[in-house]
Amino acid sequence: MLFGRRIKNPIKIADKGVMTWKYTTCGYCSTGCSIEVGLNRDGKAVTARGVGDAPVNQGKLCIKGIFEHELFNSANRGETPLLRQKNIDPYRKAGWDAALDHTAAEFKRVQEKYGRDSVAIVSTGQILTEEFYTLGKLTRGVIGTNNYDGNTTLCMASAVSGYKRSFGSDGPPGCYDDFDHTECLLAFGSNLPEQHPIIYWRLKMALEKRRFPVIVVDPRVTMFAQMADIHLPITPGTDLVLLNSLAHVILKEELQDRDYINAHTTGFEDFAQLVAQYDPTTSAAICGIDEDTIRHVARLYAKAGAAMTIWTMGINQSTHGSDSVVAINSLNLITGNIGKPGGTSLSITGQCNAMGTREWSSCSGLPGYRALEKEQDRETIAAYWGIDPEFFPKARGMFMTDIFPAMETGQIKALWLIATNPMTSMPNIPRIKKTLQNLEFLVVQDAYADVETTKYAHVYLPAALWGEKEGVFTNTERRVNLVRKVMEPHGDCKSDLWIFNEMAKRFEQGRKIRFPETSAEVFDEMRELSRGRMLDYSGLTHDRIENERGIQWPCPEGAATGAPRLYTDGVFQHADGKAKLIPLPFVDNNERPDQQFPFWLNSGRVVEHFHTRTRTGRIGNVNKFSPTPYMEMNPDSAKELAIGHMTYARLISRRGYAVVLVQLTHRVPHNMVFIPFHFHECVNQLTLGLLDPYSRQPAFKQCAVKIEPATDQLAAAAANVAARSF
Amino acid sequence: MLDVRVDKQGLAFIAASGGGETGGCATHAFKTRSNEPSYSALPPSNGAQVNQWGKPIQLVDEKDARAGQSLRINNSLAIGTNPDRYKQHGFHFTADNCIACHACEAACSEKNDLPAHISFRSVGYVEGGSYPDFRRVNISMACNHCDDPVCLKGCPTRAYTKFAEYGAVLQDPDICFGCGYCTWVCPYNAPQLDPVKGEVSKCNMCVDRLEVGLKPACVSACLAGALDFGVIETAPANRVQTKLAIPGFPDPEITHPNIRFQQTRDLPREMRRTDSMPLIYVKKEDADKIAYRPHTVDPGRARLWNLGKLRSREDPLVLFTLISQMVIGAFLTLFLGRFAGLNELSAAAHPAAYATLLIGLLALETFALVISTQHLGKPHRFYRAFYNLRYSAVSREVASVAVFYNAMFLYTLLVAVPGLFSWLLPQGLMRGLQTFSGWLAVAAGPVALYAMNRIYRIKARPFWDHWQVLASFYGSMLTLGSLAVAMVYAAVLMAQKEPFAHLLALLAWPMALGLAIEGSGLIVHARDLVRRGGEAAASQLEQRTTFGKTYIARNIGVALGLAFIAALGALQVDGRAGFLAWAVAAALIIATATIGRALFYVLVIPTTMPGAFFWRNKGFEEHARKTGLAKMPQVGILPDAH
Repeated sequence: MLFGRRIKNPIKIADKGVMTWKYTTCGYCSTGCSIEVGLNRDGKAVTARGVGDAPVNQGKLCIKGIFEHELFNSANRGETPLLRQKNIDPYRKAGWDAALDHTAAEFKRVQEKYGRDSVAIVSTGQILTEEFYTLGKLTRGVIGTNNYDGNTTLCMASAVSGYKRSFGSDGPPGCYDDFDHTECLLAFGSNLPEQHPIIYWRLKMALEKRRFPVIVVDPRVTMFAQMADIHLPITPGTDLVLLNSLAHVILKEELQDRDYINAHTTGFEDFAQLVAQYDPTTSAAICGIDEDTIRHVARLYAKAGAAMTIWTMGINQSTHGSDSVVAINSLNLITGNIGKPGGTSLSITGQCNAMGTREWSSCSGLPGYRALEKEQDRETIAAYWGIDPEFFPKARGMFMTDIFPAMETGQIKALWLIATNPMTSMPNIPRIKKTLQNLEFLVVQDAYADVETTKYAHVYLPAALWGEKEGVFTNTERRVNLVRKVMEPHGDCKSDLWIFNEMAKRFEQGRKIRFPETSAEVFDEMRELSRGRMLDYSGLTHDRIENERGIQWPCPEGAATGAPRLYTDGVFQHADGKAKLIPLPFVDNNERPDQQFPFWLNSGRVVEHFHTRTRTGRIGNVNKFSPTPYMEMNPDSAKELAIGHMTYARLISRRGYAVVLVQLTHRVPHNMVFIPFHFHECVNQLTLGLLDPYSRQPAFKQCAVKIEPATDQLAAAAANVAARSF
Repeated sequence: MLDVRVDKQGLAFIAASGGGETGGCATHAFKTRSNEPSYSALPPSNGAQVNQWGKPIQLVDEKDARAGQSLRINNSLAIGTNPDRYKQHGFHFTADNCIACHACEAACSEKNDLPAHISFRSVGYVEGGSYPDFRRVNISMACNHCDDPVCLKGCPTRAYTKFAEYGAVLQDPDICFGCGYCTWVCPYNAPQLDPVKGEVSKCNMCVDRLEVGLKPACVSACLAGALDFGVIETAPANRVQTKLAIPGFPDPEITHPNIRFQQTRDLPREMRRTDSMPLIYVKKEDADKIAYRPHTVDPGRARLWNLGKLRSREDPLVLFTLISQMVIGAFLTLFLGRFAGLNELSAAAHPAAYATLLIGLLALETFALVISTQHLGKPHRFYRAFYNLRYSAVSREVASVAVFYNAMFLYTLLVAVPGLFSWLLPQGLMRGLQTFSGWLAVAAGPVALYAMNRIYRIKARPFWDHWQVLASFYGSMLTLGSLAVAMVYAAVLMAQKEPFAHLLALLAWPMALGLAIEGSGLIVHARDLVRRGGEAAASQLEQRTTFGKTYIARNIGVALGLAFIAALGALQVDGRAGFLAWAVAAALIIATATIGRALFYVLVIPTTMPGAFFWRNKGFEEHARKTGLAKMPQVGILPDAH
């Protein structure tokens, strides 16, 4: 000691007394980090760390993952099932049998009275893949409603739709390793540092080894835009125009990969004819990016040895989401950038297991990327499950965002919500509230008893959290990874798998079908159903997945490793084995700002929160960085309206109103405001959510609002505090 | 050193020994795992011998007695084998790269098991430009383990130690008694006072990880290639700069912090803060050096009273300083009065009044000392305040106040209750002791007030770092002290139907002198604050706006008080009328002094790091408390600031 005491006290550093570590995969976003949860000698989860040799995160975790182990004893976990006859009565506690019996009885009653499809089931992207598969079996094979979807429609449906239209099937073709090989990265409406910080780290490490140009397209100056070499501050809702224009320049200057186009695509003529209309001068006027820059970016992308595009909600959550994804795929197809290292169009997925539901839940089809439209697929699954193939519908039913209007007008009378919170996450909440209130029967299955949607429910089923059940997730890059059971479920919570199995027993058809009790056995079924198909799981087992810290499909039996990329041989999933280039005319149907509502309302995410904050809102060390809703507003615009920094403003749209704390920053243009969507009773009170015609995904990022200072600041503050219970 | 092995997927790991054994029979406190990624490994020094201030990086020689010892982390006797163990280490922050993902903050809070309202590391930002030419610079800051750790020097209990190992400055919460002085002196807001626990804690450089060759948890968690760590002046791999400061960072000359920066991207001329500090940073190019200087902003604020905001955690100190200054001044007046011809003030003239006043002063000072301990997080440990006489202004003040107090105590006893001693001690000795203790108190009093003023001469708090503090303290001593004696004796004399006006007229001189000294201090202070710019000018702006009307009222109070005293002294009105007039003057002076002292404490703007919009934003903390948001524990703000 140089200074201070000569006889120094021993140093005390916090030691949480970890005795064992258990392997899991994160239950928040789809980056798919491997997390080890440390248990002390009482078996309590006290700490967590990234798994050092996991290929995805290599020992790193983001703020949410670092504190995920604190979820087990977070506040207001569901303890017991709750039941009530009318949703204006108080809940009373019930046993599982009573709750499940009542639920099954209600479903049957409603189906008998109004038809098979009058019961809707809306699930999520956050339960285990084995649970998705089981829910699919229950829904398609037992309950038999065709109004079955998940909240992935709010985030990934456009990506799925675009992939299917271009390549003939869902399935992101790239992987994080592509950063290490690419020579040009185009990030469209993706804010990696906030949404997928570990993927950002992978990108940054690749850049530190070898610089390559990064182009970020985003109306806001996010940290990602700042770090980029070129930032394109695009006019909202015009991504398709920019993409068409990039393709225009590439074809005009003959920078396309003719060999690839001829060998692996169809539809080039029509495609070329359409993009010919999108010259940079015309396009610049619409999308707000000057023509020189459009040409420069197009040349950069086409001339790169390998170029890749990533995107997230900026593309997906618009009225042209599906078209834009197709356009991105086309951009990569015409430059020969699919299926090669560093050349790909990689959709960055949102939820930890959105991929799992896309693969196995049967929402949009049948398990294992099968289609209801294909007779062969119906027969295969029906045979495997032991039911009559005629029980299946011959086309998929409604998406979540069409199910709600159908509830509104009475075609659907009952709803089962699983691990999703439409009271905060759907657009146009005023309409959603009315809709939910009118249901004859609503059952909510969630880990938290105070999730806002329980307000209008008749039954609440307390579900186990991540880490209280065992199974797999699939991440953005098709890596199937394992979640071990770390703790016993809290209170009388049950795993979603158990709940689905129990529900099946209450239906006659359900008792005839095999519903395995353990997730490992369910996984066996999935493995068999995937054999030989694109998403081949046949080489995987839970143990092998844990040992190798996650394995990418396809991994057929006998393969030494998973497959890093798809379409490496240029053979796609359309019948003719080729990818489709599709002409995409742009029609602007956005609710643009006008005299009455002069601001664009943009919504998005912050790194410290996930979805509707039912988890992150309870952990102080996570929540404190954004404890209350706020809005980014340009200081010049704020000055004109006499709105001050850290004061409350009132926003009004054609749907509703909201009061929010203002943060003045030049991150946003003068005619746009940005509000993180995580908070209840805030941004989605205002959003329109106009639906994409193909994917039915709502446009959360394009609508118009007007803004005024809240006349009574204290009242506004009080309302703000009261609006949230966590 | 640690070996690195590469697996078949190309990932690199540290090939460490499994359980962390060292030579000898001791296990390290921190357990490395077998698959520890190589980015966590502490890199070796680049051989630099001195830091940018010329100080040797090697802190002690290997053969020094202080080398080769265990840090005894969590009772482990293990000794790290890093050859750079005795070199000063520090953080390296690439401001170009930070994305404010909070991973560093989260990793630190998780490792140190911190509650939501405390964090050792915080990320804030400054931003500038106009859309879309907008840049935000995020700044992650914990403790800089400075060469000149002002926290260590200031701490009265010697709870801090600068170790030869890594140059880590570590604080021991078990010694600390929660006075919070270290939080005042640190320019970087590193020590954290937890009002719930009543103690301070701070970044510990993860010395348990350093001992097994790993970088601190925050560094290992960084997701943007921004935060790094190593031997000071050794730039990390792929980095070229080791700058001493970036916009928003306090002047490194204050403490010579062991942090280096890389910030190469061009930034706007003016960088703003999002928190409630009225400061911006303006770029000035000087030859090839670019520096950002803090300037005040004036967003056209209104002038307010905000009397409610005068209350703070420092309330006990407002009372303690004022009372102590009054008591010392009163004692001086009483003891020295007869030398100035004020014979009524001698013990002989009015023995009962003399003795009673002394006892009253003693009681008041006792009260003041007791409430000053209430300012501590752990008042029962108050005796530890004497532990750092060598360096700490607080220790020295406590010691000198103690000397004054004990001397006055003894004097008072000898004067008021001589019977206690007369059976024990001979008369001569008693008289000698009385004289001695009296003169000792007379000497110790002003010395104590000088030491008290030294407490506030903190470089990191420009509002306080001015001779105005001494002027105010001595001014209060003269004014309040003589005022107290004056009022008591006026009452006594009036009760005895004797005139007092002439006595008060004479006492008016030290009263007026005190007010004049204080007033001139305040005038020069106001001018100097504006001239200094930065946080100093920001404090003056706060004074003129947030507390604008209170400030003016206080200033008028001082001037008016001075005029009043002068008039009363000249007019020499006796009797009831005179006493009433003097009482009004006294009330005015005391009120002015109290408001002035409260302003002194609440106005200080420390050179803290820029905060974010919510976290580390005093404005939001106040808002959260006022609106009830702070009641939810997951907001991370304690509902009661005190």
